[in-house]
Amino acid sequence: MPENGTHASSGSLPRLRPTPSLRVNLAPNNMHGLELANPVLVASGTFGYGTEYQPLVDVQRLGAICSKGITVRPRDGNPTPRIAETPAGMLNAIGLQNVGLRAVVSEKAPMWSRWAVPVIANISGESIGEFEHLAGTLDGVPGIAGLEVNISCPNIRDGGRLFADTAESAAAVTRACRDVSSLPLMVKLSPNVGNIVEIAQAVEAAGADSLSVANTLLGMLIDTKARKPYLANRTGGLSGPAVRPVIVRMVYQITSVVSIPVVGVGGVTCTDDALQYLMAGASAVQVGTANFVNPRAALEIIDGLSAYLHQQGMTSVSELIGIARPPAVLPAVPTVV
Amino acid sequence: MDLYKVTITANETIMPGTHVLDLDSPALGKSSRPGQFVHIRTGPTWDPLLRRPMSIFRIRPDGVSLLVRAVGVGSQIIAESAVGTELDVLGPLGRPFTIDPTARRLAMVGGGYGVAPLVALATEALGKGCEVVLLVGAATADYVFPADELPPEVEYAFSTVDGTLGHRGLVTELLPRYLDWCDAVYACGPTPMLEAVARLTRPARYGVAGAMRSEKPVQVAMEQHMSCAMGVCLGCVVKTKKGYQRVCRDGPVFEADVMVWEGSHA
Repeated sequence: MPENGTHASSGSLPRLRPTPSLRVNLAPNNMHGLELANPVLVASGTFGYGTEYQPLVDVQRLGAICSKGITVRPRDGNPTPRIAETPAGMLNAIGLQNVGLRAVVSEKAPMWSRWAVPVIANISGESIGEFEHLAGTLDGVPGIAGLEVNISCPNIRDGGRLFADTAESAAAVTRACRDVSSLPLMVKLSPNVGNIVEIAQAVEAAGADSLSVANTLLGMLIDTKARKPYLANRTGGLSGPAVRPVIVRMVYQITSVVSIPVVGVGGVTCTDDALQYLMAGASAVQVGTANFVNPRAALEIIDGLSAYLHQQGMTSVSELIGIARPPAVLPAVPTVV
Repeated sequence: MDLYKVTITANETIMPGTHVLDLDSPALGKSSRPGQFVHIRTGPTWDPLLRRPMSIFRIRPDGVSLLVRAVGVGSQIIAESAVGTELDVLGPLGRPFTIDPTARRLAMVGGGYGVAPLVALATEALGKGCEVVLLVGAATADYVFPADELPPEVEYAFSTVDGTLGHRGLVTELLPRYLDWCDAVYACGPTPMLEAVARLTRPARYGVAGAMRSEKPVQVAMEQHMSCAMGVCLGCVVKTKKGYQRVCRDGPVFEADVMVWEGSHA
């Protein structure tokens, strides 16, 4: 579709109207930028390495693909059961089963480099050094458009406390990645913290280009028949529509105080859900668990946003961003092209 | 494999809470193989959230039939769908059973509604001129799979745990008498039953005293809770000698010899 063209059927419309632009830049301050054709990404862990859904989905139409979480070495993941359904949601404790950094660089990235859709590599480390190694190795690798830094992993050197838990450790990971990589850095915050706004500010100050808000909510399901936690890992991450109101609130709070783009992640299933996040202040959304249920959800949302903007007479998705907030508390206009 | 909107043309209750659903879909009828499954949305809303995997029970030119037992909220919605209901179906999915061209005599072991893919397999095997023995286990007489749902050429035996009908005990106790006769074994059901089949068919390997050597090929169709069924979420894995493998994509049919049974179920 031409950027500023008109609809083929415009002859039947009352007047000519430019096709609304869905373009967003999720790293406006970065030398490479992270320009996406639309603000609908697919979330890490819900879209594999981008190939699995190809028989059902034109993946090249997506705003971007966040890869399965990548660790320095391949990981087997957790014992089973790994997943459980909960009201309008699910718990997962996969344990970062993935092919490892080397296979991503040698097998996945060359494939991604031939794709139109940007692929953002999601990285997980158990130490600052591992994050440095991951970010440094992926810097300049063709096919990697940006990094999503998963700070919700245990810091083995710090007694297993999560990097995401404090502003200091979250900022330290961000800074370490920033120092070794010129790629756009999207830092994925954890919702399982006391003050996520403080952490968002610290991560912004440490050099993040954008934030993804948020990872899964920590939860548990008890198998009352067996009288023990159902998941082998005992705890799991809650995702799906059940978490949406919690994360929309976090996006609303965070975008009031940071000036880098924020990507809303949590329970996005349809156009209206995406609109909630954009109106709350997000520059884009990630579709996650909904992919498991409706593999075409992200594409339907892209079309739905386009139709909504057209219907509202808006020319760009940027007009929507933060529109639900009172003007007095609106920060500087989020940078969206 | 694709996403389809398919209409239910018949829904018959054949055991308590257990329905045979006929789906009208020439595309699914043409592309489905025994051992494969379809992944079904329970409705247009997001609660229950996940699709439910259902084994393909019969394959017809104009569609497929499913054996659906209401074991929870989601499967109950699907099982009790009225004729004329349109279902959102993803499939066919997974690696099917294979029949070696030299195999003439097949022994099949089903536990509960694990009989479903074996009925499709038995029908295909009969078409290839094979002889088929089907052994099915049930909790009680009420849940014994009805013989009239099977092609008449199938030799059928069953057991009930409480002894209300057929052999009293576990279905796997019926298998040894067919092990010399058969060329291959196929099984589908709860993981402990599949493990028992694996041990019975490889007695030497599992250290059964005085056991004879048997290397007849054994294929098992694993059951596991799933979310995506597309190989993405890594939720439905089972432990194999090659590491964790996805039931949805690498299975559901596996060679029994590649499975690591200890600790594979909670």
